[in-house]
Order: sequence, then structure tokens, then C-alpha cells
Amino acid sequence: MEQTPAGPPSYLLALLQLSDSALPTGAFSHSFGMEMYLERGLITNEADFARWLGEFVAIQLVHNDGLAIRLALEAGPVEDVFRLDAMLAAAALPREIREAGTKMGLRMLDIARQVAPGPELDEYAVRVADGRCAGHPAIAVGLVGRALSIPAPELVAAYLFSTVTSLTQNAIRAIPIGQNAGQRVLRGAHSVVGEAVAAIAALDESEFGAAAPGLEIAQMRHERQRARIFMS
Amino acid sequence: MTSQRTAVAPPVPRMLPAPGPMPGSRDESLVGELRMSIGLRAGRAIATEQYHRGALRILRPHYLDDGDQVCYVVVNPGGAYLGGDRYGIDVDVQPEARLLLTTQSATKIYRTPGSRARQDMRLKLAPGSAVEFMPDQLIAYEGASYLQHTVVEMDSTASLVMAEVVTPGWSPDGRLFRYDTVRLRTDIWVDGRLVVLDNLQITPGSGSPVDGMAFMEHYTHLGSLLVIDARVDAALVEELHALLAPMDPAGQLGISLLEGPGLVVRALSTATEPLNALIGAAGDLLRARWHGQQPLNLRKY
Repeated sequence: MEQTPAGPPSYLLALLQLSDSALPTGAFSHSFGMEMYLERGLITNEADFARWLGEFVAIQLVHNDGLAIRLALEAGPVEDVFRLDAMLAAAALPREIREAGTKMGLRMLDIARQVAPGPELDEYAVRVADGRCAGHPAIAVGLVGRALSIPAPELVAAYLFSTVTSLTQNAIRAIPIGQNAGQRVLRGAHSVVGEAVAAIAALDESEFGAAAPGLEIAQMRHERQRARIFMS
Repeated sequence: MTSQRTAVAPPVPRMLPAPGPMPGSRDESLVGELRMSIGLRAGRAIATEQYHRGALRILRPHYLDDGDQVCYVVVNPGGAYLGGDRYGIDVDVQPEARLLLTTQSATKIYRTPGSRARQDMRLKLAPGSAVEFMPDQLIAYEGASYLQHTVVEMDSTASLVMAEVVTPGWSPDGRLFRYDTVRLRTDIWVDGRLVVLDNLQITPGSGSPVDGMAFMEHYTHLGSLLVIDARVDAALVEELHALLAPMDPAGQLGISLLEGPGLVVRALSTATEPLNALIGAAGDLLRARWHGQQPLNLRKY
């Protein structure tokens, strides 16, 4: 972490670029089960969405993406990071969630290799191409973190908040709620993400992939949802 | 063998005498321990090695039909799992052998203050073998916390069907749903590759308005079926959905295709019976399709 006296951490701009809500990973087409709650009438306004978002972060993002990024940064040999890729794919029981991981993982991997080129990301690309790895955005981001020595709290918080931002933009379109409502939800999500980062730091690896039945079922039922604008 | 071929579960099941420890099997820290190796003898599956100790027993084998699938019934004579209790079950299924494993009654988890009950199960499926695991429901009582960790190592030519129904017990004040957390973790390895890491956390709603949409909502009972079998494809998933959806009173049924290949069925309800019916119907379709067997009838007494 070189740091000129007046400058930001050397990784800051890379982190901002990867966290940009306009990043072309296809996040705009994934609701991760939220669309099923919309159809059931359980999410109809800003407050409902904020509540759903809090639960989604606390269960799914904390125990999958977030824990994977932390463990990727802590891992010694990169083979241990590739093991996390397999665990993420195996923990995604709903087919659409698995496919979302692979699709967005490929896009994120391409971008990550431009942002922080290095041998570990190259090797990940080889393994994703030949099928030994499934591909997942959290792994691509974790490898960027390793390459640029980004501290876990910053990297995890940026990744989670970026995901929360994409989901909020999706909710603005789909519920719909206003742009200002969306910004209020995002401001409210500061504490959600803060708590998630703290939770991730304290998790045991045995809690990897912990899933909640209601969310999983919604994500599975989305496969057969008739009118839908999202791929998951 | 002829008499066994037509045998059904005896009205008063007899305990098998323990044939002595299997090599290296004894784990004194376990409250109950069960180890079996299932192989083929004269064309039918049977335990070729078997060991049980403490609060787990196994009933004598029986056969539900004229086929080669052996049925074993696990018994917990103590009647319940308590805080700090650890149970270990280890089942090795040899090539081409087919095992139906079930329980004599519901597994009950009582209050586990300051600790939790735990069961570790390991299933090993050799090439061409099959395991159908259809236990009675798991009932978690007030203040109960439970971890069930199942690790399956299987060959890609083997077949696995694993069911689970989790229900709340009644608390002394007559309400349902007061257990802390039931965690069902299942790791499935096919040819040495992790294909399923199912880490289901079942936490009852606290009644708070900011809690529960992702977990159970107002539902109280959960049913789950995991299937790993090379014959599973998207068409089978659709067929199962068409069969099960009309049976789903709560509208909270999820079915999805897994790597493996395999499939998962999950459903929420407010009662045990609809879930048993759903999971049973799915299992029966697979029994008929893959093994030409009749619907499962365990004829419990």
C-alpha cells in the first residue's frame, strides 16, 4: 500500500472502478429472487424493499460472496482461492443463481484483468475457460484484492455496497420506486453493509454458503415465473 | 433367502446384536454411533459389517419387495437428542448395492441450553450403488439448537436420494416454533468434485416486522429433497414440478436442476403431512422410473 503523503491509497481508483454501478457485468438483469417477492406482493414500496435487501445481504451476500472475498484474501496458494470458486458454485442450489454467478463472473473477470493484470487472474481465466472453475464475480474481485493488497474491510464493503446499489437500481425500475427513495434505501444500507462486513470478519468457514429457505425457494420459483424482466 | 424375500418389518422389531466394532470405528465422544457397510450377497444388498454403540441402534434388515434393495431402520432408543449430544453415522455402500435407510420414529431435538446437539453422517457410495434416505421428520422443541452435517462421497454412476422434513415442536405455552436454529449442512462430492454445498439455516421468525422474509415468513415446516443421479435432466425436473405443484397447498415449492447432475426440491408449509406427501411423491416417481419399484410403504408399527 504505497501512499503518497497527500494521496489516496494506491488501490482506491481500482476499487472505485470495480464498484461502479455502470460496470458492464450484467447486474442490471439479475434480481436474485427479488422479482418473485414482487410478484407475490411482498415488496410493493421502499420500506418493503429495504427490508428484503437487509435480509438478502445478511444471509446470501455475507455467507457467500462476502466470506469468499475475505477467505480469498487470507488464502495462501491461489489453489485455495479456486477451491472457493467451487464452493460458491456448489452452494448456489437454485440454477439461476448458479448461472448468474458464472455469467457475471466472466464479465467481472475480463474487467478485473484490465484493472489489475496479473498471473493469478490469468490462471483463473484459464480455469474458467476449461471448466475447472465455474466463475464468480466475488472470486475475480478477491483476486484483484490480492494483486493490489486491498484490505479486506474495504474490499468487502465496496463489493457489498456495489451489489446493493445494483439491486436498488433494479428495484427502482421494477417496483417501481423513485430515484430519491432509492437513494434513501442506499443511505440506510450503509449500516446494513457495515454490520455485514463485521459479521464476515467473524465468520467461521463452516458457515460458508449458509442459506435461508424462503429466499432459496423464491430463487427457484423465479425459474417458472411468467412475467419477468430479470434473469434471476 | 426365500423367507427374507417376502418378509415385511416384524411387528416387534428385534435389535441386532452388535457384531463387534469395525476396525477403527470407536469414538468415545459420541453419544450414539452407527457404522455399516452394505454389500451384495446372493444378489441382494445386506450389511456385511455393522457396529452400533450407545444411543443409536439398527433394526434387522428387511426387504420391501422382491428386489435387491435392503431396508435398514435406525432407532434412537433414548428418544431424543439433547444439548451437547453428538451422534455419528457412517455408511459405506459397496458396488451395485442398494440401500433404503429410514428411521423408526421422528428425531426429536430437545432444549439445548448453551450448546447444541449435533449429528455427523458420512455416506460413501461406490460405483453403481444407490442410497435412498427417507427419515421421519426432525422435530425441534423450544430452545433447541441442532447441527446436522452430512458428507456424501459418491461415484458418478451411483444414485442418491435424500429427504428431510423439519418441524417445530409444541412449546409449553402451546405455541409452535420456538427452537433457536436448525442447520442442515450437506456436502456432496461426486468423483472427488464438490457439487453441492447445502448449508440450510432454518431459523424461526422472531415475530419482528424486520425479520423473516428470506427465512420462513409465517410458515413453520420445511421439506427438502436432494437427488444426485446421472439420469436427472431438465425434463425430469419439469415432470416433477408438474406432479408436485398441484399438491403444494402453500404455494411455496421450489424445484431446481443441480450440477451432478441432480435436483433439489424445497417446500414450506404449516403442517407436516403436505410436506411428507410432496417429498414422498417425488421419491416414488424416482423409485418407479429408475428401479421399477412400487411407491414406498414403510409399514411402520
